[in-house]
Amino acid sequence: MEQFEPVIVAFCCHYCAYTAADTAGSQRLSYPAGVKIVRVPCTGKVDAKHLLTAFEKGADGVLVAGCLVGDCHFKDGNVKAARRVEFTKKYLQEIGIEAERLEMAGMSAGQGKEFAETATAITEKIRALGPSPVKGKNSCCGKAA
Amino acid sequence: MQNKTKLQSNGTVLVVGGGLGGIRAALDLAEARKDVILVDKAPCIGGLMAQLDRTFPTNNCDLCTVAPFTAKEGRGGHLDMRGLTTVTAVSGKEGNFTASLMTAPRFINVEKCTACGECLRQFPQCVSFAPGLDPRAPTCMRYPKATPYAYVIDMAKCGDKEALRKCCPVGAIEPDALPKAEQVQCGSIIMAAGADLFDPSHLDYFGYAAQPDVVTSLEYERMLSASGPTGGKLLRPSNGQPPKRVAWIQCVGSRGLQKGAASYCSSACCMFALKEAIVTRERFDQGIETTIFYMDMRTFGKDYEKYLTRAKEQYGVRLVHARPHDVLRPEGVDKLQVIYTLDEAPKHITEEFDMVVLSTGFKMNADVKKLAEDLGVELYADGFPKTDCFNAVATSVPGVYVCGTIQGGKDIPETMTQASAASCLAGGKVAITPRPRAEAPAIMPETVEAPKVGVLVTMCGQDTSVIDSKALVEYAEKIPHVVCAAVFDTSCGCAVTLESLKSTLMAKGCNRVVIAGSSPRYELGKYQALLGQMGINKYLIEVANIREQVAWVHGDQPQEANAKARQMLAVALANVIAAKPLADHVVATNKNALVVGGGVTGMTAALELADQGAQVYLVEKSTELGGVARNLVKTIEGGDVRALLAGLAEKTTKHPNIKVFTKTQVVDHSGQAGLFRTGLSVDGAYKEIEHGAAILATGATPNQPKAFLLGENSRVCNQLDLQKVVSERLQEVKKWNNVVMIQCVGSRDADNPNCSRLCCQSSIKNALAILKENPNVRIFVLYRDLRTYGRFEEYYQKARDLGVIFVRYKTDNPPQVEAAGNFVNVTYTDAIMGRQVVVSADCVGLSTGFVASRESNQALAKVFGLPLTEDGYFAEMHVKLRPVDMDKAGFFVAGTAHSPKVIFENLTQARAAASRALTVLANDTLVREANFAHVDRNRCAACLICVRVCPFDVPRITVDDQGLGCSCTDDKGLGRSYIDPAKCHGCGTCAAECPAKAIQLNQFEDAQILASLDQLLAKVNV
Repeated sequence: MEQFEPVIVAFCCHYCAYTAADTAGSQRLSYPAGVKIVRVPCTGKVDAKHLLTAFEKGADGVLVAGCLVGDCHFKDGNVKAARRVEFTKKYLQEIGIEAERLEMAGMSAGQGKEFAETATAITEKIRALGPSPVKGKNSCCGKAA
Repeated sequence: MQNKTKLQSNGTVLVVGGGLGGIRAALDLAEARKDVILVDKAPCIGGLMAQLDRTFPTNNCDLCTVAPFTAKEGRGGHLDMRGLTTVTAVSGKEGNFTASLMTAPRFINVEKCTACGECLRQFPQCVSFAPGLDPRAPTCMRYPKATPYAYVIDMAKCGDKEALRKCCPVGAIEPDALPKAEQVQCGSIIMAAGADLFDPSHLDYFGYAAQPDVVTSLEYERMLSASGPTGGKLLRPSNGQPPKRVAWIQCVGSRGLQKGAASYCSSACCMFALKEAIVTRERFDQGIETTIFYMDMRTFGKDYEKYLTRAKEQYGVRLVHARPHDVLRPEGVDKLQVIYTLDEAPKHITEEFDMVVLSTGFKMNADVKKLAEDLGVELYADGFPKTDCFNAVATSVPGVYVCGTIQGGKDIPETMTQASAASCLAGGKVAITPRPRAEAPAIMPETVEAPKVGVLVTMCGQDTSVIDSKALVEYAEKIPHVVCAAVFDTSCGCAVTLESLKSTLMAKGCNRVVIAGSSPRYELGKYQALLGQMGINKYLIEVANIREQVAWVHGDQPQEANAKARQMLAVALANVIAAKPLADHVVATNKNALVVGGGVTGMTAALELADQGAQVYLVEKSTELGGVARNLVKTIEGGDVRALLAGLAEKTTKHPNIKVFTKTQVVDHSGQAGLFRTGLSVDGAYKEIEHGAAILATGATPNQPKAFLLGENSRVCNQLDLQKVVSERLQEVKKWNNVVMIQCVGSRDADNPNCSRLCCQSSIKNALAILKENPNVRIFVLYRDLRTYGRFEEYYQKARDLGVIFVRYKTDNPPQVEAAGNFVNVTYTDAIMGRQVVVSADCVGLSTGFVASRESNQALAKVFGLPLTEDGYFAEMHVKLRPVDMDKAGFFVAGTAHSPKVIFENLTQARAAASRALTVLANDTLVREANFAHVDRNRCAACLICVRVCPFDVPRITVDDQGLGCSCTDDKGLGRSYIDPAKCHGCGTCAAECPAKAIQLNQFEDAQILASLDQLLAKVNV
């Protein structure tokens, strides 16, 4: 069987994590291609509903990447996002999806290396966990578990 | 006969030279509503940078980076650009110069020329510009995508004028055009005419004239460039084969090494050699061996040391500390032999290379020198203008300023900084010229037509070569709503222009556009402007980031990269189809400025702004003005820092437009560019101020690392303290026998990876001061790389001539320092003698440099919402092109808060930041992006969640949808949430938290995010 390639949706805030991803590019640091970035102005904009929708549609993992605590462009959007991520994790567990599939990270705009490392680490973590349980029940979304 | 006109104009600045520096200076002035005339002798603007391939340290393509700045834009009618124009004479004085301009005929009417290239095809000898390799042909566009975008003809090389005239389909060729002379009046002049590069032809031992495979660094750059003579292929000029081993030889024409070489260091060559070596390995062949022969690696700029580390560790660039004395090619041998000697082994080493690149430095251009002489500007013997030791852009003639390499060799960020500084001073001499503002394009009606999307896949040479752009276009064409898709080759050699793209898109009736290319953080603005010209709302565009986030990270996985690029394109398409037309918001500007930090940098910035009419609040956390400069006595040039400081402090405190707050800290902050509110704690009392722009000049902290007995032994001190000892305790200094200085203490190491930049010159300054008082003392300077860039090199030479002993040490064998009775014993290894030497020193001066004031910077960054670098300095918006702007509009950074640097450089940055701030403050209104949240009042239940979560207290419960009425729900339940677009920062937290989903954030509506997720997670056809 070919190796399972996890699909990770990464919600990245414009000011830090998205810029860090660009920095990773300009430093030519590679990370798994399964990590797909959705740009948001601030992680505070990431709705719990969007996190769940990502899983519903077949993401194996979801990363919410914002600024370091204290560096948020909008004071504390990242702290609010972290709270929402914690809440969503509990909810995921209740419906039978491993909470580890959802993760919050913080990095500054200059930290291209951290972005690449975070993206690689979450991919490896999800690879170990295997495909999302949602996929097995929903044949339209990717390979069955 | 010549055409003659006389122009009457008051309050104009004349900028001579349309390279990057001249363009920046002219744009700053135009944005601050001052009239500017920009002249360049070349047919189009762009200067040296337009010929480079990539720039350090980001390795971006230069032309891509510079093109948006040179593009033809109105600039509110303040900017008048003239190519092929020289200044023939200047008379008058500050405030009232008269300049005679001579414009050579282009023989092509720029208004008619469409740059179709027909003349070029019919006169096929035409080639693009390549110095040293370029037989200029009858028609020649100097570099692709030139501004103005039109050809120029060298009529002297044209045999049949009539045939040439007839070949043009639009009749733009005018063989009988005449030169045009005119006189313009101007209040001040900025000379930004650049410099030449050293010509190594006469140095026969390097073989440049005789060997085709020996090239200069600029020629090598042209070979790497997609617009260059080889079309971006790296090939040996001798046999057209790819090279396997390339060597760089540094300091050719600089540091007084060769016949005719300048005495200064050209400052930029170490970095560009590293860049060329990295690009060679990264873009052409990992197998090409790259070797740089250097004397001192001078990577002293912000974060440049990290670039050096990357070159060595990530890219395997080999650095050899040696000065090759011969480059030979024996008869019948296909390779070049480089002969050199190493420090530790005094014997000749011969190594073979396929190509040798000479890192040639800058030198003065003869025509520019003549113009400077005509203006009466005092010059150094080498022809460069002398500038004030505290004002690097002011010449000896009042009202005449310089910026860029005309002031001495330098890199792009320094040029940009000087350009803005020169524009600040030159602009101060002329008044604002009121001109009507261009009307903003009308907003599209609410009714949305069926989406017709145009897709542009932008490719730039080798940049994103992993992506199959044609396949991507074919993929796009099959997606519903896409009416046209095309590859837009932004690389230099292509004939497709933005103009022709516009007509293609319009012909297909596109009403939305998707760009697949570089990050939206870079070029979105340019494409939004294009949409504006097409009458499409500027928010109906989406960028798929297939460069930074696909090609550059998955370059070694073509299949995955192409699949991901398709997916990103599909996401962008879904997004743009869900997008809505939006209206920008126009707000009135507050014309006050906040300057944080009362050192020399802060005071200079405050004074420049105040002199130009802004009300300035200068905030200093300590009890008095002056900062770290209070510890300084003199500069290396002999400038009196104490007098400077006293003068600045007096002017600042007495200036009617400056309000100084000492013992003051910034505690809170809100608002956006043009209208900020900042809360201050003034000696414990709260005070709120309003301002339109802010400059951070908070300085840095002198480093005090625990090393070499610093702080433990009274004979060991840092360079700041040593300077004080030399100026205050003369009797002691006169008794000294041995002094040792150790460089890079607490810099360029694991804890503080960057170079502190100023320490090499400060140790030499102190060495020269000690020798002046005590000529018999022996001074040892133990260094890693001696970084006396620019004219500091001359002081280094002087110190060597006076007998100062310079010894290189390596990090794996650092000097040892131990107390020995009344003295301090310093032990080091001398590579040439090959043994250890012990010096019994009366005094040990450690070059400890600077570190970021991390804690206070972090606190300020948090209040203002600004990014810091890894080292804790404030991060500028773009290291190359926007060195004093910050990511947050309206904020600027200057001085050592940006990175360590010497006084005059800090003051230049202060003036640059003031100039940039004036571009905000000079305008009565500012246009804000439509990135605010809006409420669907039918869904709002006035639950107050948005009111509670908003970090800026913007939402209010009001009766009507214009924000009027009471701030609570009335009996009939009429109150609904209202978000003021002028105050909303656009973070979207309220939208995420609103339980009724009544709030949507413009450009990031739920429908758009869900559409993105749909595409991201749809099964991809690989």
